[in-house]
Amino acid sequence: MSDQFLFATEVFINGLMAGVLYALVALGFVLIYKASGIFNYAQGVMALFAAMTLVGIMEGQVPFSHIINAIFGTEVHHFGWHVPALLAILLTVGVMVVFAWLVQRVVMRHLVGQEPIILFMATIGLAYFLEGFSDLMWGSEIKTLDIGLPQGGSFLIEDMTAGLGSDNFYGFFIDNLDIVATGIAVLLVMALVAFSQYTKQGRAMRAVADDHQAALSVGISLNFIWVMVWSVAGFVALVAGIVWGTKSGVQFSLSLIALKALPVLMLGGFTSIPGAIVGGLIIGVGEKLFEFAIGPMVGGATENWFAYVLALLFLVFRPQGLFGDKIIERV
Amino acid sequence: MLDASEGYTTEDGRKIGGVVMEMKNITLRFGGVVAIKDISFDIREGEIRAIIGPNGAGKSSMLNVISGFYIPSEGEVWFHGSKRPQMRPYEVARQGIARTFQNIALFEGMSVLDNVMTGRLTNMKSGLISQALWKGKAEAEEVANREIAEKIIDFLEIQHIRKTPVARLPYGLKKRVELARALAAEPKLLLLDEPMAGMNVEEKEDMSRFILDVNDEFGTTIALIEHDMGVVMDLSDRVVVMDYGKKIGDGTPDEVRNNQDVIDAYLGVAHD
Amino acid sequence: MAQMQSGAAGKLSLPALLQRNATQFGDSPAYREKEFGIWQCWSWAEAEKEIEALALGLINLGVNEGDFIAIIGHNRPYLYWAMVAAQSVGAIPVPLYQDANAEEMAYVLSHCGARFVIVADQEQVDKVIEVQDQLHQFEHLIYLDPRGLRKYDHHQLHEYSHVQAQGRAAYDEWITDLKTRREKLNYDSTCVMLYTSGTTGKPKGVVLSNRNIIESAKNASEFDKLGVDDEILAYLPMAWVGDFIFSIGQAYWTGFCVNCPESADTMMTDLREIGPTYYFAPPRVFETQLTSVMIRMEDAGNFKKKMFHYFMDHAKKVGPDILDGKPVGFMDKLKYKVGDLCVYGPLKDTLGFGNVRVGYTAGEAIGPEIFEFYRSLGINLKQLYGQTEATVFITVQPDGEVRADTVGVPAPDVEIKIADNGEIFYRSPGTFVEYYKNPESTADTKDPEGWVATGDAGFFEEGSGHLRIIDRAKDVGKMADGSMFAPKFVENKLKFYPDILEAVLFGNDKDRCVAFINIDLTAVGNWAERNNIAYASYQELAGHPKVLASIQEHVETVNASVAQDPMLSGCQVHRFVVLHKELDADDGEMTRTRKVRRRIVEEKFSDIIGALYDGSLQISTVTEVTYEDGRKGSISATLDIRDAAVASIATKLAAE
Repeated sequence: MSDQFLFATEVFINGLMAGVLYALVALGFVLIYKASGIFNYAQGVMALFAAMTLVGIMEGQVPFSHIINAIFGTEVHHFGWHVPALLAILLTVGVMVVFAWLVQRVVMRHLVGQEPIILFMATIGLAYFLEGFSDLMWGSEIKTLDIGLPQGGSFLIEDMTAGLGSDNFYGFFIDNLDIVATGIAVLLVMALVAFSQYTKQGRAMRAVADDHQAALSVGISLNFIWVMVWSVAGFVALVAGIVWGTKSGVQFSLSLIALKALPVLMLGGFTSIPGAIVGGLIIGVGEKLFEFAIGPMVGGATENWFAYVLALLFLVFRPQGLFGDKIIERV
Repeated sequence: MLDASEGYTTEDGRKIGGVVMEMKNITLRFGGVVAIKDISFDIREGEIRAIIGPNGAGKSSMLNVISGFYIPSEGEVWFHGSKRPQMRPYEVARQGIARTFQNIALFEGMSVLDNVMTGRLTNMKSGLISQALWKGKAEAEEVANREIAEKIIDFLEIQHIRKTPVARLPYGLKKRVELARALAAEPKLLLLDEPMAGMNVEEKEDMSRFILDVNDEFGTTIALIEHDMGVVMDLSDRVVVMDYGKKIGDGTPDEVRNNQDVIDAYLGVAHD
Repeated sequence: MAQMQSGAAGKLSLPALLQRNATQFGDSPAYREKEFGIWQCWSWAEAEKEIEALALGLINLGVNEGDFIAIIGHNRPYLYWAMVAAQSVGAIPVPLYQDANAEEMAYVLSHCGARFVIVADQEQVDKVIEVQDQLHQFEHLIYLDPRGLRKYDHHQLHEYSHVQAQGRAAYDEWITDLKTRREKLNYDSTCVMLYTSGTTGKPKGVVLSNRNIIESAKNASEFDKLGVDDEILAYLPMAWVGDFIFSIGQAYWTGFCVNCPESADTMMTDLREIGPTYYFAPPRVFETQLTSVMIRMEDAGNFKKKMFHYFMDHAKKVGPDILDGKPVGFMDKLKYKVGDLCVYGPLKDTLGFGNVRVGYTAGEAIGPEIFEFYRSLGINLKQLYGQTEATVFITVQPDGEVRADTVGVPAPDVEIKIADNGEIFYRSPGTFVEYYKNPESTADTKDPEGWVATGDAGFFEEGSGHLRIIDRAKDVGKMADGSMFAPKFVENKLKFYPDILEAVLFGNDKDRCVAFINIDLTAVGNWAERNNIAYASYQELAGHPKVLASIQEHVETVNASVAQDPMLSGCQVHRFVVLHKELDADDGEMTRTRKVRRRIVEEKFSDIIGALYDGSLQISTVTEVTYEDGRKGSISATLDIRDAAVASIATKLAAE
């Protein structure tokens, strides 16, 4: 096999892994959009907030320490204990559920029946609020997140594949974290599908997504379902936050991954879980391969814009995305 | 009139029980518009009760008050002997009041079976954890609920479309699926909002038969609204007639048919 | 006597076979029925208990030996049990067509003097109650599905399960009586009475003995090597002799499992789920299925369509040979295997024929292309020729000798002779006992030596020894010039076109032939949809010039092929009309088994026939119709009459 082909393969595999991460973020959007018709701009910030909360809890950080210290003149920063990762994750899930409940109670409940654009604006507001709130709660410095996920290149794969090419091919370089992330993503998707297909809450969720009035008439509380949906989206945000945070540190730029999710959604469609996955993979692989093949000719950095151009093309030719419901305007 | 505590026997020999639901002096206003004006009536156990009236008489509003979609401006709703506090529609549904809609509100993306199963949601008790583990109780519950759903599917003769997405069904069948979903809740009171609207003669006959059979087989108390007089008179035990938000008649189909106010309303005598 | 004992291994009645099955095949499935979305199953041992309970309940209700018990409803295990329970107590089951109207039902019920009627549901209860006053011997009605019947007067009305419960409760009281009655049954006692719809006159009650049923079932089962592991789907009318032989006779002889569909609407899904190994369907069913496959293929993607046609062409070439075990080239065989993987296998599965080992069709001629289509897929579809009076089997096609244009060789133990006028006579152990209360018809049909006239004309093919049917013997007539007039022959050729549902040919004693045609609404409607032709009704579509033009093309092609046959070339269609309504059993134009009642059609539409012969180009007519609920109405129409080109007569060519 030619080295060029092997390099391309390596790029392809890495693209797949990156795509999984995009898909992970996009999933959170799809869940809320399907169930409530809201495009949740705050999804990315939720991932940031979840990751920061997780780090904070693990390291025994005192929340709002800046304010406390400023008001009381104290110098507390840490409780002085370390919480094990698993427990910390459970606690963070709890925080995300409380957050979901607050969002529903304080914001969304009052906006029922409003135009989608109003709801969208509300989530933009929510995003900025949450961004500031996380800084206030946990501080704005860059943190590292380590819950024990393996990192660095996989030597096993490198060794196994080294013999495939000529001497200057050293084997595929694939990050262990990416492999684990893929595993986590697959598990998460399976769990989500099982939840929505086989549990009564899942059935209720699909019912609400389909028809509010009908859902009410069979005894489903819309409020409860929406809190649940926001909680699930919070959980997905946490998973995305953990993976991205481990990869590149917990910092403000984490919230920008939401912007990468946008082209994924345009490709896959806003209402389809498989669409989010396939869309994520296409963007991941597409941008890596494009950079590999075309990048050098145009001066590199194509990864910054490739996804958006692709999304733009899709908007022109297939606005509902690959898997989305056909957009039919009823007159 | 009737004694509040005791029932009566219908012409065809069915025993009708005590009062299940009582509407006391209901008034409903939207801004300045009065949709329902001081209406009282009751629904008794096991009977088929109809609310009829010309278009715009306030029938649908009344049904929405019963099912909790509207909150009455004045008046009280009594259910099973106690006054009902202000409730949201899903709480009303959980009390055992199921309904259908005039314009059909089904979960279009789901199969017929899934739709009927959503009707069982309020009757399902097991928690998320035991469902996740698919253990004993949750499994037994799912099976029991599926059994009830299948009995209703069989009863309404929709076996052949069990796995078909609702969106693909013709109108008449959708109406039947909606009835199936309401029945799946094993309601204490079943509200039907214009069950025959938009149907041809044959479909109307089928639907009438199903409504009678449901009442006969499950003893379900049914309240329905309909503007097609003929159908209602054949179906119901007692009829409330509304016009311009007011009650103008209440009694057996024969009594109502001979009521001068009702005749005037249907013949379009000018109101002063 | 010796033959009697060995012939059925000493089991001389169906109840006796049931006892054998309950001990020998106790745990294997006897009946399945889909209800509430699940296949419910009864083993032979369980079925025997159910039947016993019902039989005891029937004695308890006062059923006497020799009573007639009518059974009406769709295929359900409970109703099959009712037949055997009736036999067990010495009564005679009489299954009726469930779509019979009240009038037809009244005739049969009073003709046999049924004291008891067992029905499926409210619909049938209502029909029986409607005609109750005309029935003098009728006493009790037993129903299966209690739905909607709560308020009915229950003096004469009993729920099936209650009858069984009472039977179980009265076990000690009646079990000896039941055993005595069961043991009295012998090879010559009556097994069942089936009313033939008959193309003319009132239905006749065909009395079939245990010998008729068991011998026929045994011969046919051995002929096709059926065994306890076979599966069938019972969906054809219970009143039809074929269903009785397949779902009761052969099931009891071999012990195989009878599966009942959930409802008529779910038949296709149930067929797929069960995947029967032994299957019977009239040509019409195969035709409908093929049409729906073709329609789906029209709508399929390009690649799928291409693959389908590519492999189907190959299947047509080698499929039948592979099925018949004839030598086929290695590459062809390999290609067929690939096709099986990509096309034939999945197609057979969606059609529900994935497991079919033996399939039969009969009743009407089947179109050669349709027949070939199924055979080329590897489905062992065969033809048989039979009638109620013969307990089905007269001729059958053995494996490996299957053709579209013959009906096979004489079935085991069947003797056949052909009279001078071409009429087919047979004699066999399946030959019926008599027509009930109708010695004249019995004598007309069956001579003292046991030869039965089939009423069909046909001949044995030179060489192969296969029987070929031309037409009903009485329908084979003479035209004015003395040449043979065989309407069925031409009609079948016409009906092989998917857009022609029915055709009726006239020409007896005339100088030339003319025809009525019914279009197939599904096929033509689909064609219209694809070609953007709007239509509001059958009548409008039937009168559309484009439809008429394509029918004319078919008629002319058929004429050319009829002209090939020197004996029948006079039967070419000179003029035809596409009728404004479908011929319908409710209007008496067809039998319930969908055979045209020629005489009634001829009388009813005499004005149109007149126009066909007098050369006029149009005819206005008014026709009375009966709606499903029994109301009458009429439709009027103006029909175009078309001339069809006729090929030159072959006899002349031959003479030159």
